[in-house]
Amino acid sequence: MNLSYKNLKLITCGTVAVMLVAGFTSCGKKDANSPGFEFMPDMYRSPSVEYYGTHIVNGDTVNSAKLPVQGSIARGYVPYVYPNTPEGYEQAGLYLKNPLAYSESLEKEGEVLYGKFCIHCHGANGGGDGKVGAKLPGPPPAYDGPLKNLPEGKIFHSITYGKNSMGSHASQLTQEERWKLVYFVQKLQGPKTVVSDSVKVNAATEPKKL
Amino acid sequence: MHNNMSHFSLKSLFGAVFLFFAFSFGLKAQDGAKLFKQNCAVCHAVTDQKLTGPGLAGIFDRAPKGDWLKNWILNNEKLIKSGDAYANKIYNENGKAAMTVFEGQLTDKDVDAILAYVKNPPADNAAAAGAPAPGAEVEKEEVKGGIDPLYLLLGAIAVLAIIIGSLRSVRHSLQNSYNRKEGKEETEELSFFDEVKQWITGNRRLVGVFVIIIVFGGMKSCWDACYDLGVYYDWETQKGYKPEQPIKFSHKLHAGDNEIACQYCHNSVEKSRHAGIPSVNICMNCHKGIQKGPQYGEKEIAKIYEASGFDPKTGNYTNPQNPIKWIKVHTLPDHVYFNHKQHVVVGKQECATCHGDLKKMTVAEQKTPLTMKWCIECHRKTEVAMEGNAYYDRMHKALKEKYKGQYDVKFTVDKIGGLECAKCHY
Repeated sequence: MNLSYKNLKLITCGTVAVMLVAGFTSCGKKDANSPGFEFMPDMYRSPSVEYYGTHIVNGDTVNSAKLPVQGSIARGYVPYVYPNTPEGYEQAGLYLKNPLAYSESLEKEGEVLYGKFCIHCHGANGGGDGKVGAKLPGPPPAYDGPLKNLPEGKIFHSITYGKNSMGSHASQLTQEERWKLVYFVQKLQGPKTVVSDSVKVNAATEPKKL
Repeated sequence: MHNNMSHFSLKSLFGAVFLFFAFSFGLKAQDGAKLFKQNCAVCHAVTDQKLTGPGLAGIFDRAPKGDWLKNWILNNEKLIKSGDAYANKIYNENGKAAMTVFEGQLTDKDVDAILAYVKNPPADNAAAAGAPAPGAEVEKEEVKGGIDPLYLLLGAIAVLAIIIGSLRSVRHSLQNSYNRKEGKEETEELSFFDEVKQWITGNRRLVGVFVIIIVFGGMKSCWDACYDLGVYYDWETQKGYKPEQPIKFSHKLHAGDNEIACQYCHNSVEKSRHAGIPSVNICMNCHKGIQKGPQYGEKEIAKIYEASGFDPKTGNYTNPQNPIKWIKVHTLPDHVYFNHKQHVVVGKQECATCHGDLKKMTVAEQKTPLTMKWCIECHRKTEVAMEGNAYYDRMHKALKEKYKGQYDVKFTVDKIGGLECAKCHY
C-alpha cells in the first residue's frame, strides 16, 4: 500500500467526520409518549373549540366533551313515555308496539346492528353465550329460553333503559335502530309459545298518548 | 292466519310437553351450581357484590329462619303482599325491583339445591368471574436496553478533550526541556485557539474535507428531519405515537379476545365525522358486572368507577364524577377535513386500513403516517366500491358513459375527484 502519512490523516479525518454526523442524526429516537415536533401550531390548532379537548374560553378552562344542555332534544327524537320502573316495564310490554312495518331488509339491518351491539354478550344465536357474557357474573338469559315470550315492547324497553346486568344502550342506538333490533331479536326468539303476554297491569294504567 | 295459529299452538304444545319431560329428567342430575347460574346469577352474586339484586354472602344470618328463603324464592310477590315485614323491607331497599316468581319453574328440591350451593360456594367462584384465566399471557413491557448512543458519543468527546488537554501541556514542557538542553530559547505556551489556528493553516486540505462532510451530512439530516415535522410516526421503524393513557385500556383484550365490535364503543363512526371516544356509560354497560380484569385486577376498572361515580358496594351512581382524560392518538391538523362516516359507510373501508390491527395492540399506537402523501397514495390505488352502492348510482352511470369502450379502467378514488384540494382543505 502506498499510503503517505498525509493521505492516512485525511482518511482518518473523513471517517471521524462521517461518524460524527451519523452519530448525531441516528440519535433522534422517538419517545412513544411524545407527539413529536409540531411545525406552525397555528395551522394545526384553530381557535375554534374542537370536539374533544380542553380549551380556554374567556379565561375559563372548558372541557369540550360535555353532556348536552339539559332539555335539549336530538333531531328525530320521539319522546318515550314509559318510565324506567317495574311498572313502566310491564306497561311497555302491554302497549308498546313496533312502529316500523316489518320487512326482511329491516330484519337484516337489525342483524347487522346485532353483530355490533349485542353479539358479544348475547351470542350469535341469542343463547347468552357471547364471549363477554361468559365473563359477567351471570350470563344473559337465552332468547329462545326464558325470554321466548318476551313481548316487543319489553325488548325495546330493555334496550332503552337496560335490564339487570345490561346497561342502557339509548346513547348508542337511535330509536329506529332499536326497533330494527327488536325484529331480529324476535327472529332469534322463534315462534312464541304463549300468544299474549300475561296481563299484570290493568288497562286503566295505560299511559296517555302524547 | 287462524289456521296458522292453531298449527303453531299444536306444535308448541308438543314442544312444551317434550321440554317438560326433558327438564324433569334433566334437572335431577343438575346440581345447585348449574341451577344458580341459570336462574339467579343474572341478578345475584354469591359474594357481597351487589348486582341488580343484593349479594348473597351472609344471607343465612340476615334472613328470617325457617322456610322464609324458600318462600321468597318461589313467590316473592305473595310474600310481599302478605305483609311480611322483612320481605317488604328488602323490596324497598332494592328500589322496588321485582324479582322473578319461580313458582312452577323450580321445585322445592331445586331451591334446596340452590340454597345449599349459596351456603357453600366454591372458593374459586367467589373470587369473581374476572379472575385471570389459566395460561393468560402476560404482556411483557419492552425493556429499554443500553445507553443512548448520543451520550456515548458526548462522553467519548469529553474524554478525548481531557486527554488532548493534558497531552498538550506535557508536550509543551517536553519541548521546553529539549530546547533548554539544546540551548535554544524557551517558547511560551500558546493558547488553545492559537494552536488550533496554527494547525488549520498547516492542514487546509484536511480541514476542507472535514467541513464539507459535516456540512453536507448536516444538510441531509435536516432534510430528513423535515419529514418528521408534525408527523407522529417513525418511517424507518414504522412505529408511531403511543402515549400512555390514563387507564391501561387494552384494545387487544376488548376487541381482540372478547370480540367486541369497534362500533360498540366508537358508535358515532357511522353517523358522524368523528369516530368518537366512548363516554363512560358505555364502559359501565359491561363493567357494572365485570369488576375485575385479567391483568390489573380491580385497579384499572376502579378508575372507571371513579369517573362515572359508581359505587360498587351499593351498585348505585352516588359518588362524584370525574371525566377520564383520554389522550387522542390519531390526530389530523385542523386544516384538514376528514370524515369517518364518508370513509366507513360510503367508502366501505375497514377500521384497520388506517388504524392498524388494533385487535392486537395492548396500547393504542399510530400505525400509519397520516400524512397527505399517504392519503393521496391510497386515493390513487383504492377502487371505489360502486357496485351495489346506491350512493354512487349516478356517478357510476356518468363514468361508464365517459370511459365507454375502454375496458381496463379502474374507478379509483382520484377518478371521482379524490385528489381535489378543496375536498379536504377548505
